[in-house]
Amino acid sequence: MTPDYITPELFAKLVTLAALELTPEESEYLRTELNHQLAAVKELSEIKLAEGVQPSLHGLDCQGNPPRPDEWLPFPDSAAILALAPESNGEYFRVPDFRRGGEEAK
Amino acid sequence: MSSIQLSAYQIAQKVRAGLLSPLEVLEDHLKQIAAVDGVPGSLEPKTSDPAEESKVHAFIEVSADLARRQAEQVRARLERGEDPGLLAGVPVSIKDIFCVQGTTTTAASRILYNFRPPYTATTVERLAQAGALIIGKTNLDEFTYGSSSESSAFQPHPNNPWNTERVTGGSSGGSAASVAAREVPLSLGTDTGGSIRQPAAFCGVVGLKPTYGRTSRYGLIAFGSSLDCPGPLARDVRDAALMLQVLAGADPKDSTSAVAPVPDYLAALEEGVRGMRIGISPDYDHITYPDTLTGEMSIQAIQPEMNTSVRAVAEVLAQLGAEIVENVPMPNARHGIPAYFVISRVEAASNLHRFDGVKYGYRARKPALDLSELYRATRAEGFGLQPKLRILMGMYVSAAQHSAQYYQKALRVRSMIRSDFERAFDPNGAYRLDALLTPTTPTTAFRRGEVMGDSVLMQYSDQMTVAGNHAGIPAVSIPAGLDPQGLPIGVQFFGMDFREDIILRAAYAYEQATRDAEWRAVQPQALRGSEVKA
Amino acid sequence: MKTYEIVIGLETHIQLNTASKIFCSCKADSWGAPPNTNICPVCSGLPGVLPVLNAEAVRKGALLAAAMHAEINPISYFDRKNYFYPDLPKGYQITQFDEPIGKGGYMDLRMPDGSERRVRIHKLHLEEDAGKTKIDRGERLVDFNRCGVPLVEMVTEPDLRSGEEAAQYLTQLRQLLRWIGVSEADMERGHLRCDANVSIREAGSSMLNTKTEIKNVNSIDAVRQAISEEAKRQIDAVEAGQRIESYTLDWDADTGTLRKMRSKETEADYRYFREPDLLPVVLTAAEIAAVQNSLPELPLARRARFIQDYQLSAYDAEILTSERGLSDYYEESVQLCGGAAKLVSNWMMNDLIRLMNDTGKSAAELRLRPADLAEIIQLVEGGKINPATGKSLLARVEAGAGKASQIVADEGLGLIADEDTLRQQIAAILEESPSEMQNFRAGKESLLGWFVGQVMRRTGGKADPKRTRELLLELLRQ
Ligand SMILES: [Zn+2]
Repeated sequence: MTPDYITPELFAKLVTLAALELTPEESEYLRTELNHQLAAVKELSEIKLAEGVQPSLHGLDCQGNPPRPDEWLPFPDSAAILALAPESNGEYFRVPDFRRGGEEAK
Repeated sequence: MSSIQLSAYQIAQKVRAGLLSPLEVLEDHLKQIAAVDGVPGSLEPKTSDPAEESKVHAFIEVSADLARRQAEQVRARLERGEDPGLLAGVPVSIKDIFCVQGTTTTAASRILYNFRPPYTATTVERLAQAGALIIGKTNLDEFTYGSSSESSAFQPHPNNPWNTERVTGGSSGGSAASVAAREVPLSLGTDTGGSIRQPAAFCGVVGLKPTYGRTSRYGLIAFGSSLDCPGPLARDVRDAALMLQVLAGADPKDSTSAVAPVPDYLAALEEGVRGMRIGISPDYDHITYPDTLTGEMSIQAIQPEMNTSVRAVAEVLAQLGAEIVENVPMPNARHGIPAYFVISRVEAASNLHRFDGVKYGYRARKPALDLSELYRATRAEGFGLQPKLRILMGMYVSAAQHSAQYYQKALRVRSMIRSDFERAFDPNGAYRLDALLTPTTPTTAFRRGEVMGDSVLMQYSDQMTVAGNHAGIPAVSIPAGLDPQGLPIGVQFFGMDFREDIILRAAYAYEQATRDAEWRAVQPQALRGSEVKA
Repeated sequence: MKTYEIVIGLETHIQLNTASKIFCSCKADSWGAPPNTNICPVCSGLPGVLPVLNAEAVRKGALLAAAMHAEINPISYFDRKNYFYPDLPKGYQITQFDEPIGKGGYMDLRMPDGSERRVRIHKLHLEEDAGKTKIDRGERLVDFNRCGVPLVEMVTEPDLRSGEEAAQYLTQLRQLLRWIGVSEADMERGHLRCDANVSIREAGSSMLNTKTEIKNVNSIDAVRQAISEEAKRQIDAVEAGQRIESYTLDWDADTGTLRKMRSKETEADYRYFREPDLLPVVLTAAEIAAVQNSLPELPLARRARFIQDYQLSAYDAEILTSERGLSDYYEESVQLCGGAAKLVSNWMMNDLIRLMNDTGKSAAELRLRPADLAEIIQLVEGGKINPATGKSLLARVEAGAGKASQIVADEGLGLIADEDTLRQQIAAILEESPSEMQNFRAGKESLLGWFVGQVMRRTGGKADPKRTRELLLELLRQ
């Protein structure tokens, strides 16, 4: 058996953190796959690192652009961005929030 | 003769010389799409017509109007005596992970089913500037998360033109299929762990993953931001070089795009391989794969034709004057997938945070009382299983208490994977390679449904390719024959940072030397129908 | 009852006054802009787009680090801080986590009683601002204009000991930010925002107790008041035998009360990791040196120098160094007045500051330049005009009436110092006032003032008072 790296309790916590909700079938499948993947990933812990190995962020050292000059160039069509909203009032993006009283949504 | 028989290079030459009308080229390719592609991928697929089973289904959206406007512009530029660009009149398909203004950009996910970006990816912009005709958006694994293109929310998924019972590979499966089925001569794909090269190998086309930063990521919907690389899929090496020529170069909108100069890739092709040192590694003739039940790693053989093809390619190159360097150790290659499981998932989970039903795309039908309900319902309904799996994996391994064990460790393993290549390519080292030759995939194209669902097995089909993404180096997969079932075999050349010219040169030399090989005359199944006059 | 010590650390968010946002080219400041009009695909979190770092945000962040005596990190990194909230369009904030632009540092405060306190800086890093949301009848309205505004987040060590000290810190930080030109630091516009961590302990103890965090204390008065309230609440609670819990509190400035927002017992995991879309921020030794060399003399040092070099009172030095433009104005004027430091100080403290208040301009914005002020002072000191004329000239030059000496010449405002003219006037007055003349000559010398007044009346105030006095004495004593 693959070790149960992700117990049902831990899985439920991850699902909440990930802002998801799952059917029982989805949960079953995903938790099994997660455990399989973590079994494969376990190999990492057995790898002996050579002395002084630093983390690599992009593989190679990026020779990228220097930071840009500070210039204001307005995007020509900000209305097109608002128009993408599932719901807007022409000025603001709108999201439902009936429950909020004094307490911050968390 | 229909222009679908021409390479991109030939089309552009003829169009530029006024011998071929860009509109005619476009209509030829639209006709081919109509003939072989079948219904486009959709969220609500119609009840299955058995005839659709043998179609390619490379496209989610065919942008005929956009392409016609572009063809018209190319014609107008020619009439005004202006240079219409290196890809004048060449139809190009775009993996539907690139934002293109005027198209719907779905990432093959319900959560972006209606997303019409008000901006265009730099790579696509450059193609259009060079006179290419953006003919449509190709299907892929949802958010590129897969190696078969089956996980698209837009069904039917692409089928392999060589055998429509088989997968195209992925995630750039629609792109590879569209090129193989002569729907386009060129396609723009992305490669995060092998997503250009693996489907290229499965579909018998050329796929190039450039050096990280050689091509701009602006407008590419991110998977693993430190690994993602846009690149060309083409039917021959010269076309891949031509397309890279157009794509390559620094982009002020992408801080990680490289300022390194862009060489003349086409000119480099002709220089041959005499004196070139090409390595073969015993660490690439098998894969190391975990038992799903025990998690124990075991060495598993790969399909034998993969290794014989590598040998055969090496032999051809040796005859052309290259020096074959045996036994190049790549001891960290086997860690590629475990490290990838961590790094790509951490980045993917974060990159998917923005899909929340607030700003664009899908919002849950179910009424929500507050934000967290809205988020959960939207993401539950909008994402398929693969994004959900990657989010959960990414959340787990980047949690504060696990980060050192998984994420930080994986980044160090990534350095070690890179150091294998540095050692092999070191001009003062023991191997002094110009390129490393390996199989592209452990097997040829697998059957539809065969691997789908087994996320670990699916991921391991990238074991031969993923090291290039970790290291950031370029790699190209080229066709090198057919297996006994008539399925294409791909081999791959890895190269040094920004030396796409060298690996393209090796690939081109092999391709030219085997131009008349018998297997090259075999057409994909999808082209053998009566509708295509080869 | 035991005596308690209040332990305060402040977390400030400072909006840098760049032209464009930190990772896109939208305008940095959206003041007055309708919602969602100062946005682009990058700052509104559309998929596929990438951040591009603004060099000026880095320079200003480094300059602030230098001003705080922090070490400027030659290689700093941006990280992603992941959480869901609708004002955060990417679902993560790009910030600096473990390798920020500034390391360490401190700010010396002078307290109203003359003492000084050193406040150590715990963290100083660059980040992007989030948007704004507001609740409106069952829905939340989201505005992304503020997304991507460059911020420096600066967190102090728990080195402050009262609401008053915290208020001093903010006041002097605000002065410093404007002084070095990195932020407008307008608290009303949210350029400088503050959260306060407050705990109490028995006097003499050095342990740190459970703290509460007060959010949204966005004015100096609010900081003073909210901290005092919270400290009092904590002391009362402890005295009543209760345990202090780790709350987040919201300061309601309208009612002057604290409201509990949420318990902070479970710390969120933001799953920080390096932002792969950005490269490390590399500052060469030369670039760091350039930043450090561009740092102007800081207010505290300049204040000390003004007291030392110009013999100003502490009060005058304080006022004249309250703002960099004003102190530059002062020094330039002193130089143009041949080093008459005290004299210039008097003019500025009395008249120039009044002029600034009347016109609502800062020293740098005045049309009346130091050269104009110096000219007016010298006209008065040289006896060319009387002080009242000088003062009225300040406003006239400011109003655009031209150069002071030109106005004096054109309008005949100069003093009559011509001896013949003055002698004639005086002779006429003596002739008209025989009895006063007799009284003076009889010894009532206090009448001199009366005679001067007569001359002034006849000359419309333009007689040179010094010369007039001399001539009167001469003629009266004949
Ligand atoms: Zn913007």
